[in-house]
Amino acid sequence: MECFVSVNDIRRYFDGEMKQEERDQFYLHLPDCIKCQEHFEEVKKTIALTQSASHIEAPPAFTSKVMDNLPHKKPRRRWKT
Amino acid sequence: MDEWMKRCVQKVQEGDTDAFSEIVNAFKDRVYQISYRMLGNSQEAQDIAQEAFLRAYTNLSSYDPNRKFSTWLFRITTNLSIDKLRKRKPNYSLDAEVEGTEGLDGYSQLAAQDVLPDEQVVMLEWQASIQKEISALPPKYRAAIILKYMEDLSLQEMSEILNLPVATVKTHVHRGREALRKRLKKW
Repeated sequence: MECFVSVNDIRRYFDGEMKQEERDQFYLHLPDCIKCQEHFEEVKKTIALTQSASHIEAPPAFTSKVMDNLPHKKPRRRWKT
Repeated sequence: MDEWMKRCVQKVQEGDTDAFSEIVNAFKDRVYQISYRMLGNSQEAQDIAQEAFLRAYTNLSSYDPNRKFSTWLFRITTNLSIDKLRKRKPNYSLDAEVEGTEGLDGYSQLAAQDVLPDEQVVMLEWQASIQKEISALPPKYRAAIILKYMEDLSLQEMSEILNLPVATVKTHVHRGREALRKRLKKW
């Protein structure tokens, strides 16, 4: 079967820019095209791995370190007229 | 959250320094995550995250309260991180190996109490490997990937943070994703 899907089409799929019918066609095409299947699965995996790595916390005592370094005298009171 | 944040900002602007600690507490993890992911090294990330809050504090008068505070704060953080990357010595990339493994320090702060030690080690290694791949991306693609997939931000917010048109942000996400895809193929 001839492949009509471009890299940009796959990008549009993942960026949610495909219309419903385009998406349907794309799904129908996937089982027939190893190249697209591979690309599709790889992008999915890339997104999943990146999302799953996203839980870091700031080091302990971070807030107190920031607060200790603030220029305390600076704004204090704004000028009142 | 937004109303509460507005009140905090107002209090700080009126001279109540302590109110700023509430702002730091609310955003420290996300600011640290952005700087850590950008720089791939916990010491630099900590310096930049602290600097970001310091800048936010001293420039609070230039913050427009009608806009989202987090957008403004993340913009400061991203700019500082990119500046830091630019100032690195050109041969820094030779230390990429170190850059990746150093992440292990950062991850020792992960909340992972329920995980068994062995599994924890595997997870740390795995996390460090992902960070290594992210660190290999050019900074502008790296920023796009971090904001989109790790901070889960909209293209519109990303465009304000990165000061780029939405179409450019989209291109950067796409290129970053494609570069990562090729690197993660072997995984």
